[in-house]
Amino acid sequence: MFSETLRQSLDLSIFWEYRQTLLVGLLQNVYIFFASAALAMALAVVVGLARLSKRFWVRGLSTFYVELFRNTPEFVLLIWVYYVLPILLSRLLATQFNLSPFLAAVLGLGVAYSGFMSETVRAGIQAIPKGHREAGTALGMRDGAILRRIVLPQALRRMLPEMLSQLVSLFKATSIVSLIAVPDIMYQVSMVNVEQMRPLPLYTGAALLFCLVIISATQMIQILSERWRRRGWA
Amino acid sequence: MNNAVAEQKPILECRDLRKAFGAFEVLRSISFEMQAGVVLSVIGASGSGKSTLLRCLNYLEQPSSGVVFLDGEPIGLRRQADGGLKPDSPANIARMRAQIGMVFQQFNLWPHMSALENVIEAPRQVKGLKRAEAIEIGRHYLGKVNLLDKADAYPARLSGGQQQRVAIARALAMQPKVMLFDEATSALDPELTGEVLDVMRALAEEGTTMVVVTHEMRFARDVSDRVMFLHQGVIEEDGAPAQVFGNPASERCRAFLSSVAH
Amino acid sequence: MLDNFNRFVIPNLGLFMDGLTITVRICAIAFAMAVVMGAIACLIRLYVPVLRYFAIAYIEFSRATPIIVQLLWVNYVWPELFGFPKSVEWAGIIALAIQSSGYLAETFRSGIEGLARGQVEAGLAVGMTRAVAFRRIVAPQAVLVMAPSIINQFAVVVKASTLVSIIAIPDLMYDALKVVNQWFEPIEVLTSVAVLYILTIFALSATAKRVADHFRGKYGLDAQA
Ligand SMILES: Nc1ncnc2c1ncn2[C@@H]1O[C@H](COP(=O)(O)OP(=O)(O)O)[C@@H](O)[C@H]1O
Ligand SMILES: [Mg+2]
Repeated sequence: MFSETLRQSLDLSIFWEYRQTLLVGLLQNVYIFFASAALAMALAVVVGLARLSKRFWVRGLSTFYVELFRNTPEFVLLIWVYYVLPILLSRLLATQFNLSPFLAAVLGLGVAYSGFMSETVRAGIQAIPKGHREAGTALGMRDGAILRRIVLPQALRRMLPEMLSQLVSLFKATSIVSLIAVPDIMYQVSMVNVEQMRPLPLYTGAALLFCLVIISATQMIQILSERWRRRGWA
Repeated sequence: MNNAVAEQKPILECRDLRKAFGAFEVLRSISFEMQAGVVLSVIGASGSGKSTLLRCLNYLEQPSSGVVFLDGEPIGLRRQADGGLKPDSPANIARMRAQIGMVFQQFNLWPHMSALENVIEAPRQVKGLKRAEAIEIGRHYLGKVNLLDKADAYPARLSGGQQQRVAIARALAMQPKVMLFDEATSALDPELTGEVLDVMRALAEEGTTMVVVTHEMRFARDVSDRVMFLHQGVIEEDGAPAQVFGNPASERCRAFLSSVAH
Repeated sequence: MLDNFNRFVIPNLGLFMDGLTITVRICAIAFAMAVVMGAIACLIRLYVPVLRYFAIAYIEFSRATPIIVQLLWVNYVWPELFGFPKSVEWAGIIALAIQSSGYLAETFRSGIEGLARGQVEAGLAVGMTRAVAFRRIVAPQAVLVMAPSIINQFAVVVKASTLVSIIAIPDLMYDALKVVNQWFEPIEVLTSVAVLYILTIFALSATAKRVADHFRGKYGLDAQA
């Protein structure tokens, strides 16, 4: 009995049958991943720098931003962006404003992860010895140039491994976009399930699929980080 | 008088002790005996095997071959009916270690316990003493190292010198037959070494049996009864401080002493 | 706005309280299970060579699969395969526990492995057996050092628990979405619920930070992330 259900659960031929639909779904995850990753990293650099600002109110605001989004469940944020944000914006702009599920997903995940990533950025920048900046100042470089030419290049290398593992988490998190009707991999799996009523192989396969993707990604990051460390890079 | 001493059983004996890490031989045939009440200083260049020797003495490091006897009992090995030796049980090894005190270069105090708790931990857990009994002993030894007033302080709140003195009290509280010191003052700021050396000197004067690995040549010369010079895992020189420091037989020992003289 | 708040949030307070009760219950049980399962997985990984690779496989699996996938998997596959869980609530609890136990196992491991070797040696040197040294020296310090991460992991469980509504567990999020879909007036309800979650999770993270500061002050122990 057990072995029979186990065999059914591991009979993943249904994934091959529906490979096209499922692949289209997976591609949605990939698109959302890249778009939200770009948004998250851009925001993270800005907010991370703002956290180190000399101005009190800039520091205060950015701290509020970080605490807000680090402590919000991704699902709650996603739902809020999808349902509430368009209404608020419509009222504000006094025009009809729509947000596609795809955009809502990118926005929600991007903002959520910018909270975590900005902390990585801040820590990376803080790890650069003050003397490096002072050396630039002593040579007559401007603050902007010091940031671009001296601080950021070093900080980015230093934060690379941690940033990459945040990205892995972000990819994992893309699995929830089906809940605001983005036709991603989990959405397609559920659709196939509705059609075929074969949850055993479908959900087992989905779990194994994520396992495969995520574990290969983490392994690769570990190998890369190790290599960078040996080169004295990260 | 001399005869009486010679007839005494050694408290500690090393018989053909060897230790290799992989192919690298750190200790090569170390043999010596030591009487109770003696203070033995072990000197030698960094990497000569001093720490390894000390760690073999209480079996923190398992010797590759050879035996250490404490008061006639082999450590880590059990005598069998036919007279042969076989590996001992972890419980028995622990029982033997309980009779040897060790003081580490890095103190290794347990940060989640106060000074007094550090000192009474082994009497309670290993000897099974009642709390009140253990506290009495603990306070006695904290008093000996002049730290009764810090009994309730956590290690993080103590200076390095104070931490090392607590570590000494912790080892003494087990009332060991031999005390081992592995560069007890090397991790300390120079101004803090004095307070630890004073405690060690007082112990020596009370007749505590001690093996002291040290870089403090003045301590080795003035306090110890016997000095041993280790070079690449071999005992190159072994004798009274006056002889070793005044007129070493080994050329290497002479060179080492002149290199640390200034 | 206040008007809508009075119309959609206040009258449903009873419903939301029911949902909140379920959320709290699920999180508490799942977290307790995760701590136990994580400790077991970590101890096996470190000290039971024969089963080491099972523990690693379990830890890696639990960390590599998204919580939503685990929820669906436990809810739909487990009853057929293992004959339990018998209710959606238990499916939710088990999935949350599995997910967190993987992270906690790794947290515990870094706490144990991060301990200076000299700490255990000092115990052995005064005659402790390895078991006593683990119980009296390694475990308490690992717990102290890890306490902030452990509390943070509870915050992560609360975050992840928002997803149990997808297998029809009537938790706080489920009730909120129900009210929203009934009236199509999402602003007040969703914002209130979001604020409630954020404050709860913020309180947990802030507690973790304070615990870390406290231990650093008292024992000089540095918490690991
Ligand atoms: N666990 C170990 N594994 C490999 N080599 C070791 C180990 N411990 C010590 N050694 C080596 O043994 C030699 C002697 O070390 P040690 O006893 O610490 O010397 P000392 O205390 O005299 O400075 C050194 O070369 C050291 O690198
Ligand atoms: Mg040494």
